[in-house]
Amino acid sequence: MLEILSPRLVGELLVNGLLFGAMYGVAAIGLSLIFGTMRIIFLAQGAMIVLAGYCAYWAFALLGVDPYVTMIALLPVSLVVGAAIYQLLFRRAAAIEDKNTSLLIAVGLMFMLESLMSVAWTPDPRSITTTYTATSFDVGGMPVSITRSIAFVVALVATALVTLFLKRTLIGKAVRAVSENMTSSMLVGISPHRVNMVAFAVGIALAGVAGCTLASTYAIDPYFGFLFSLKALIALALGGLGNVGGALAGGLLLGVIESGSSFFIPGWGDAIGYLVFLLVLMFRPEGLFVRSVKKA
Amino acid sequence: MAKRLLEIRSLDVHYGDAHVLFDVDLHVDEGAIVSLVGANGAGKSTLLKAVSGLVAPTDGEIRFRDRSIVGMAAQEIVGIGISHVPEGRGLFAQMTVLENLELGAYPSRQRPRMRESLARVFELFPRLDERRGQKAGSLSGGEQQMLAIGRAMMANPSLLILDEPSLGLSPIIVRTMFELVRTLNEQGMTILLVEQNIHQALQVAHHAYVLQTGHIVMQGSGPALLEDPTVRKAYIGSLA
Repeated sequence: MLEILSPRLVGELLVNGLLFGAMYGVAAIGLSLIFGTMRIIFLAQGAMIVLAGYCAYWAFALLGVDPYVTMIALLPVSLVVGAAIYQLLFRRAAAIEDKNTSLLIAVGLMFMLESLMSVAWTPDPRSITTTYTATSFDVGGMPVSITRSIAFVVALVATALVTLFLKRTLIGKAVRAVSENMTSSMLVGISPHRVNMVAFAVGIALAGVAGCTLASTYAIDPYFGFLFSLKALIALALGGLGNVGGALAGGLLLGVIESGSSFFIPGWGDAIGYLVFLLVLMFRPEGLFVRSVKKA
Repeated sequence: MAKRLLEIRSLDVHYGDAHVLFDVDLHVDEGAIVSLVGANGAGKSTLLKAVSGLVAPTDGEIRFRDRSIVGMAAQEIVGIGISHVPEGRGLFAQMTVLENLELGAYPSRQRPRMRESLARVFELFPRLDERRGQKAGSLSGGEQQMLAIGRAMMANPSLLILDEPSLGLSPIIVRTMFELVRTLNEQGMTILLVEQNIHQALQVAHHAYVLQTGHIVMQGSGPALLEDPTVRKAYIGSLA
């Protein structure tokens, strides 16, 4: 077994893991933002990702539009859709102390989206094959898929943009403030509804980005979303809640863990991912990359 | 006679089944320091929260500049000129000093004035200027309290509400804190102060109220209450 552990193999597993993990990371950042302000795990995130994936698929299949063009076009749409989801579905529930209502709405939304997509587009897996899908380039004798690399770069850019938004704009700072202390946020004049809406808008925009990159790399089906939400949740647990860089790092790490474990113990990739999830929650619930800062 | 800035009439507050405030009357005149003293659990913080919109009263009236503010959301109340520094300071610990201050100017009318407000707060607290890039959670207790007050000042309030500003501070810093309250007041700020440090709170106050299990049981000028035998016996004890 050991003789097959060549540097090249390790390199391939690592690169594959990192490239796929980047998408987990983007999904996790969306979850993290919504969790930060709303205090719920938005379980429908994966279904939103798959929905965006279908948009990319149909735009390509029917109109020949490149999935990355669809991604750009979806950005403004998904911001509006995210804000609308908050206003229509969550606004009332967000005012209730008990967060279970909001969580159930997210679960209901997820199942509804899955069923609708299944009825509208059949449960068959769909994938996008562009002229460059099969292309790969060479890094030190190792073939690296071009679509996965684009997905990776897109994930980095998305993370950087969200970080800039949170650090440089007043409304972004307000999102961080609410994640830290809701009462103080209200006392300085921040409206929780406004911030929740912004978090949803950005979170769903990230789902749009993740969906288009996902569809350009992998086959999607209507029920893939729940699994993706769970993966994002694991990434979030690894990276620590309320930390954009950590969420991306958690996604990358999960990607590597999965790619490694599914190579060495075929079929066990998911199970090992969930095991890591449980272990982290049991022993490092604050995440792997968080240095604890004392509370004021 | 000074203008009435805040007027509370027959205020009742419940937390679920618990009746916390009973028929409370209190007013704050423009330019005054008003202290609210009383034992732990008397309802002092609840009264402040009712004013700043964090707690909804069950009955009674709260008027600010002759306008009812009952039912307004907390984030709107700060916009009309009431800034509340909560007990425990309520800083955004993971954010920098500067970010905390910027968020203090969040109300839309304050945003264009952010630069001037920031300059004023840094003039008042040069220490905050030195530490502007540091995380709020890494400051000392006294600096954190300065930051909490500085953040409230960023909204250019006409009424500053301070809930236990001396809590957890060393005696020297406590003295500085009360000097600061006086300085702010001399610069024209109206202050409603809740304090466990009753001696100091009464000394600094133009007018003071004693709250006991949800009832206002006494009121008067700060010095008068300080001399009152009942107050001395009940609250100041060996300190006096």
